[in-house]
Amino acid sequence: MNLTFQNVTKFYGPVIGVNDISCQIGPGVTALFGANGAGKSTMIKLASGQLRPSQGNVNIGEKSSWSTAAKRDFGYSPDINSFYEEMTGREFVTTMSRLYGYASSEAKRRTELALLRVGMADRAARRIAGYSHGMRQRIKLAQALTHDPQILLLDEPLTGVDPGGRADFHQLLAQLADDGKTILFSTHMLAEVEDICDSVLMISRGRLLASGSLSQIRSLLADQPLTVEIAAVDARHVASLLLQMPEVRSVEIDQETVTVRTTNASTFFPAINELVVEQQLDISRMQTVDEGADAVFSYLEAGA
Amino acid sequence: MSLLRAWITLIWLTVRRLIWSANTLMVVLPLAACGVFLFVWRHNMEPQEYADYARIFAQFSNVFVITIFSLFVIPVCALAYATTSIGGDREERTLLFLLIRPIPRAMVLAAKFLGTLPIVVSLIGGSFYGFCQIMPAPVADEALRLYLPSVVLMSIAYVSVFHLFAVLFRHSTIIALVYSLSMETILGAMPGIIKRLAVNFYGRSMMYDLARDFGVQEPLFFQAIDTVSAQTMLAVFTIGSMSLATIVFVRKEYRDLS
Repeated sequence: MNLTFQNVTKFYGPVIGVNDISCQIGPGVTALFGANGAGKSTMIKLASGQLRPSQGNVNIGEKSSWSTAAKRDFGYSPDINSFYEEMTGREFVTTMSRLYGYASSEAKRRTELALLRVGMADRAARRIAGYSHGMRQRIKLAQALTHDPQILLLDEPLTGVDPGGRADFHQLLAQLADDGKTILFSTHMLAEVEDICDSVLMISRGRLLASGSLSQIRSLLADQPLTVEIAAVDARHVASLLLQMPEVRSVEIDQETVTVRTTNASTFFPAINELVVEQQLDISRMQTVDEGADAVFSYLEAGA
Repeated sequence: MSLLRAWITLIWLTVRRLIWSANTLMVVLPLAACGVFLFVWRHNMEPQEYADYARIFAQFSNVFVITIFSLFVIPVCALAYATTSIGGDREERTLLFLLIRPIPRAMVLAAKFLGTLPIVVSLIGGSFYGFCQIMPAPVADEALRLYLPSVVLMSIAYVSVFHLFAVLFRHSTIIALVYSLSMETILGAMPGIIKRLAVNFYGRSMMYDLARDFGVQEPLFFQAIDTVSAQTMLAVFTIGSMSLATIVFVRKEYRDLS
């Protein structure tokens, strides 16, 4: 099932939350990445039917996300830390499950399944008031999973989660993606989750900067500088050759490592391959150091 | 998956959370104070005074039922639960978990209303019954017969009005408290037609109208309306407030929830 934004604009009075966003999010894991105030939460709230777009449409499958019918098709884990604190984790998830209309026994069965998936089955008998931040995140995720939705909307699900919990979370998302679920989650720590994302939506100041896989997005930035580290036995000789290439902007040498800044990634790599063969250069390692999500986002944001 | 089952769960959740809320303690205190007040009053009566049931009934009606109970106790008890019913979820942001479930918003509000109503009506009606029992038996019987319908109708109307407040305002408990203690009291005591904006005017009109033959006289400026008109107006307040609350709740974006 797809989540679709069609020319979506949302105003908060005179302030614009998101500006003319169009995208379609299909099965797999999609990260919604941007700085604080970029419009991530607005997009998640529009997708979960908490807000109505000022212009355009947000659809869950064929249904408007604001409609009651669409709410059966998605599960939502909000970024708030508010619960019915007097309840135990198990009671809370069961109650939320029963609000989908399940009979008591079915709601309990689904609750146990969800608690098991998020790793809270053994701790769900405690009152939520005594839960840590990470445990609360897991309970929020559990209540979003009980009705086995086709679409999962997760708002900053990793905030406050310890490294072990993050690994569990990655594993769970991968399993859900394998099951064909559409998962959209917002984050401002994309570097930590880029390995599990099938695609990324990069948003800044309410506008969608780019969408696609990270490598696709990076390839769009051919004219942006790219930093490449090259480990070579004769670093000085390699540096002098590199400086003769028109794509190279600057070179730095640190013992056996040459750090190159190139302005054109698409021609640089074929050119250096030729150079290595022609000059018989002894290069043991070559890697880009700023192809990560944060660097890509910085380039995009600067150009926006 | 059944919508009806989900709706009943929400009603039950509302009842359960309200009964075990701090508001129960908040309303028990003024009710206990009323009980102590009546108990002391009765025990301070002289023996010859005690036999004058008509006089006791008039005093009980004017001082306690129409003034203290109608003007203060009913609105405070109603607002304690009615604003918390949906306003508490709004302030604690747990309303979000209800709004993302596949229950139409109109049914969410109706569930909140129906979960609150039995608590408020049984608490106010039950306490009124208890207060009447402190009085001599003939006074108690007459007061219950004459005033209980007004007490119940006022309670229902207040629950509706305060649900509207909770839908409209984030800090509805404070606004409803200020409204009850100032606007209802001031408006209800104003000469002229302006008092007809106050819920308690109609409840007290019913009481004066029904108890007129039992020596209970309204103040000169009060100008009570007849019982049928007052009942109709209380029904209009109830239905009107809930209808307006439903229209607003169905359309409103609650941006303060997350």
